[in-house]
Amino acid sequence: MRRARVIEPWLREPLERFLGETGARLALLMTPAGQVLAQYGFVRAVDVMAAAALGAGIAASTGELARMLEERSFRALNHQSPRHGIFLAQFDSPRGALLALVVYGPDSSIGLVQLFFEELVGDLAQAAPPASRDAPALAADFERDLNGSLATLFR
Amino acid sequence: MSLVNFTTREITCKIVYYGPGRSGKTTNLQYIYGRVPEERRGRMVSLATQTDRTLFFDFLPLELGSISGFATRFQLYTVPGQVYYNATRKLVLQGADGVVFVGDSQARQLDENLESLQNLQANLLEHGIDVREVPYVLQYNKQDLPRDLILTPQELDDQLNFRAVPSYGAAAVTGQGVFETLRAVSERVLRKLSEGAPA
Repeated sequence: MRRARVIEPWLREPLERFLGETGARLALLMTPAGQVLAQYGFVRAVDVMAAAALGAGIAASTGELARMLEERSFRALNHQSPRHGIFLAQFDSPRGALLALVVYGPDSSIGLVQLFFEELVGDLAQAAPPASRDAPALAADFERDLNGSLATLFR
Repeated sequence: MSLVNFTTREITCKIVYYGPGRSGKTTNLQYIYGRVPEERRGRMVSLATQTDRTLFFDFLPLELGSISGFATRFQLYTVPGQVYYNATRKLVLQGADGVVFVGDSQARQLDENLESLQNLQANLLEHGIDVREVPYVLQYNKQDLPRDLILTPQELDDQLNFRAVPSYGAAAVTGQGVFETLRAVSERVLRKLSEGAPA
């Protein structure tokens, strides 16, 4: 079983099914601003963020090119190297626009990834709970924690 | 926009270093990268030209640690300062939770600072954000240059700090003011989050 790490539980089942079907090595689901919602295959959280920032940057710049060309948008991009392929696609979900970044090896293929990506989008649409508004996250006296954390950073 | 997860108790915030070309935005991130323990920071990603000018962005993820029981991460971005790259600058600004404006203290760069500030305001507006609502601080970099070439932080405040936000004199090459700037913007971003308003 390929265990994904998810920020929101409803993402887990569709993503793990997608991973099982495609054999993808790395996968990220994120917002268009590069905030990670779910990931599989990355070891360090900070590496996930770097990959998400790059993926979001690519999607944003191609989206802007599409706008200049008066296209709706480039829905998906694929980059191929001898060892890896990268598939990047934007899609709509009940929780707004999302991005998927998938890295696959020679044991998979772009066709397989594209085929099951359509299923992933459908599964996510079905699994998404209604958006809820959460209460404020931080205690009012968060400064002490912040000071301690920043002091540790700049030892 | 910051991502707050109540199940895994994680917060991720995006902070953008903005300012005119060669004002020292990348140098801020490089200094932070060099000083922060390895286990608290990720790889610094720089999309730059062959002459090391920022082409798209620099990116540095930081693990701040636990704040009010939430594992807190900051994503620091820079924008390309050159006028030519406004389209990419606008893209990087998308979803920003806080902004550091890095100004160049040299007297001859004052117009460039003003132009970049106006550009920041215009680009935020295109994302539907009023500059008065986004947590933001000013940094006056290159205060280590000879006195006759630069304006003092007070003089720069008079010219650039229309909203009386926190401002810091800095010499990013040596680290002076870098930490103070990051601390101030972090506090403002988290304070906005603690107030429950969309950051």
